[in-house]
Amino acid sequence: MSEVELQLCLALPTPNITKGFKFNLNNYHGFDHLKQMSCSGDKTSRVIKKRDFEHAFGNFSDDCNALPLLLWSGQPNEEDDNHNDRKKTTFVTDDMNDVEVDQVVGWPPIKSWRNRTCHHHHHHHHKRALGNGRSIYVKVKMEGVPIARKIDMRHYHSYQQLTNSLITMFTKNEKCDGDYNARYTLTYQDKEGDWLVAGDIPWHGFIRTVQRLKILSNWG
Amino acid sequence: MESSELKRSKDSVNSCESARRSSFPDEVLERVLSLLKSHRDRSSVSLVCKDWYNAERWSRTHVFIGNCYSVSPEIVARRFPRIRSVTLKGKPRFSDFNLVPENWGADIHAWLVVFAAKYPFLEELRLKRMAISDESLEFLAVSFPNFKALSLLSCDGFSTNGLAAIATHCKNLTELDIQENGIDDIGGSWLSCFPESFTTLEVLNFANLTSDINFDMLEKLVGRCKSMRVLKLNRSVSLEQLQRLLVNAPQLAELGTGLFSQELTIREYEELESALSNCKNMHTLSGLWDATGMYLPALYLACTHLTFLNLSYAALQSVELAKLLAHCPQLKRLWVLDSVEDKGLEAVGLNCPLLEELRVFPADPFDNEIVHGVTEAGFVAVSFGCPRLHYVLYFCRQMTNAAVATIVQNCPDFTHFRLCIMNPGQPDYLTNEPMDEAFGAVVKTCTKLQRLSVSGLLTDLTFEYIGRYAKNLETLSVAFAGRSDWGMQCVLGGCPKLRKLEIRDCPFGNAALLSGLEKYESMRSLWMSACNVTMNGCRLLAREMPRLNVEARGGMPHHLSLLSEMLGTRQTENY
Repeated sequence: MSEVELQLCLALPTPNITKGFKFNLNNYHGFDHLKQMSCSGDKTSRVIKKRDFEHAFGNFSDDCNALPLLLWSGQPNEEDDNHNDRKKTTFVTDDMNDVEVDQVVGWPPIKSWRNRTCHHHHHHHHKRALGNGRSIYVKVKMEGVPIARKIDMRHYHSYQQLTNSLITMFTKNEKCDGDYNARYTLTYQDKEGDWLVAGDIPWHGFIRTVQRLKILSNWG
Repeated sequence: MESSELKRSKDSVNSCESARRSSFPDEVLERVLSLLKSHRDRSSVSLVCKDWYNAERWSRTHVFIGNCYSVSPEIVARRFPRIRSVTLKGKPRFSDFNLVPENWGADIHAWLVVFAAKYPFLEELRLKRMAISDESLEFLAVSFPNFKALSLLSCDGFSTNGLAAIATHCKNLTELDIQENGIDDIGGSWLSCFPESFTTLEVLNFANLTSDINFDMLEKLVGRCKSMRVLKLNRSVSLEQLQRLLVNAPQLAELGTGLFSQELTIREYEELESALSNCKNMHTLSGLWDATGMYLPALYLACTHLTFLNLSYAALQSVELAKLLAHCPQLKRLWVLDSVEDKGLEAVGLNCPLLEELRVFPADPFDNEIVHGVTEAGFVAVSFGCPRLHYVLYFCRQMTNAAVATIVQNCPDFTHFRLCIMNPGQPDYLTNEPMDEAFGAVVKTCTKLQRLSVSGLLTDLTFEYIGRYAKNLETLSVAFAGRSDWGMQCVLGGCPKLRKLEIRDCPFGNAALLSGLEKYESMRSLWMSACNVTMNGCRLLAREMPRLNVEARGGMPHHLSLLSEMLGTRQTENY
């Protein structure tokens, strides 16, 4: 199993923050990662309640395909054509279990009481977006990959279409060796904050409730 | 008066000479000096001669302590015997952003104990970034029979039980202002603790509390406090309830609404509109949680004389804001969320020619993927329409050097320029160059600049500019910037009026830190975290400057906070 390295070098002369990030698929156990997440207490923990993961790993409902993603090549992900993204830098801590790896403590400098208000606004916006037919942007992360993507759920009409698109988005490697059909599971966070396996509910209900997506590795 | 006679006999031995020089009797000098309000003027006065020092200290009724560790309460009480009002600031500003560890200090209790003994007639206490417990609040409530005004901003350590103690015991309370605090909100029953006979409240601000309060009690309280001029409600108060409050308090000058979203009948809407427009004295409006285009028109008639509009809890769209601003010709201060986008800011430029202050907060600060918000275009548009602009706080995701140059050309009178390009180290997005020239333009053009926050990709050149040109700069905030020690050295070697310097995640090390020894004597505080300073550098600094309180925490990242003019010592377990 070849080692995969993803190194992020940031154009800042601040050695404390900008550390190269190494990601080794060999050591990555998706399930353990989730267990660790649910134990970590505060807002970074995601507790999977509604569906047991061992059940989820082996079992897919009909309209949800496991994503046969290729090994990550180590090249930074190209964002969508958006000139704002061109200059984006992402900060990484060297804690691989950190769910929100693209955030720096205390930055941007917003007072914590205002954060609470902002969070509320974000959800409020979501609700309004559904009503006016505006875009519903959802963040997609692949486990172990620091750079997230965003997609507009309005562009998809089925789980199949969504997973096909995600495969395209997250694969870069032309050189695939025997392990390229490693299995991944698509999970999502619903309106109540729970993380569930995608594919259980009809598509129409899914897009009304989905807040974010996460692609988990089945290694282990 | 007995006290001045005592004083004169004490001083007579020492002040024979000065008595000959001084042409005023002490009482006259004291009377004249009592008219001085500015604490800086008073500090200057106190340095003139011994007579003036004494007259000043006896006539001072308000003391402002910008750093609670710079002096002990005993020393304050000894120097100023007649204080009625105290303002105290504690933790470094970066504690607002979770960069300061829990239980750092800045506890008010020791101060209260001294005040209870020395200033039994204390009337006002204003705290910023201090730790205050419920026990301390209770102690405060029972120790000062004349207590009138309590203002807590960004404080923590207390719960609504502490507020209940204040409401219960402070019979002469005129002001209760609880803002943005880390308060343990157990419930809203504290408001019901004001006695039925209590009528003196003029200022009530509980906007940042989350619990429901007993509306009946609030309505009665507002009804009987006829002098109330500032009322800032929390979210739990509905539009319908707001209307009921306003009909009994049309004299309000500052109003913070509760939730501005509710199903209203036409009649209810009209009643609300009427109640709002009857507030003829209203100059400040805030709250407006979840306000949408639907009910904002109810405000239109009330906005005619508005000078300060705080929309930072309402994610308005550009069109909604434009329509509202058309009714706010007198606006001087505006706070908005970046949901209004550049188009909304264009409307600001078109409708608010008297604008002096603009703050644009990000609606989604932690989500880089959602590309909304404001850009350099919005800021430029405001600068063209609002030449009196002198205070800006602007969160954005892109900026250019050229835009900033245009902005300061249009508005050369900036006193506070706080620009936050939210992506750390981001260059000019058009030219890909550092943002050095932008801030160079700011400091060269805005000669009155007192406060500056920089962001974006910055080399040492920015700091060369700042050191050389920012003659009036007092507060500088730096994050993710600079290339070497030289940058920080430039600032410490220039900026003659620098008082507060806060730096995070910059490549400034021991050489830079130690280059400021002379400068630290005249500064209030220095904060450095996640820089290249080492523990040894801090030790060396502490050794070179024994009067400085140098505090450093190891581990990653380093926190070094340097509190100047230390005359007392700080209790700290880990050093």
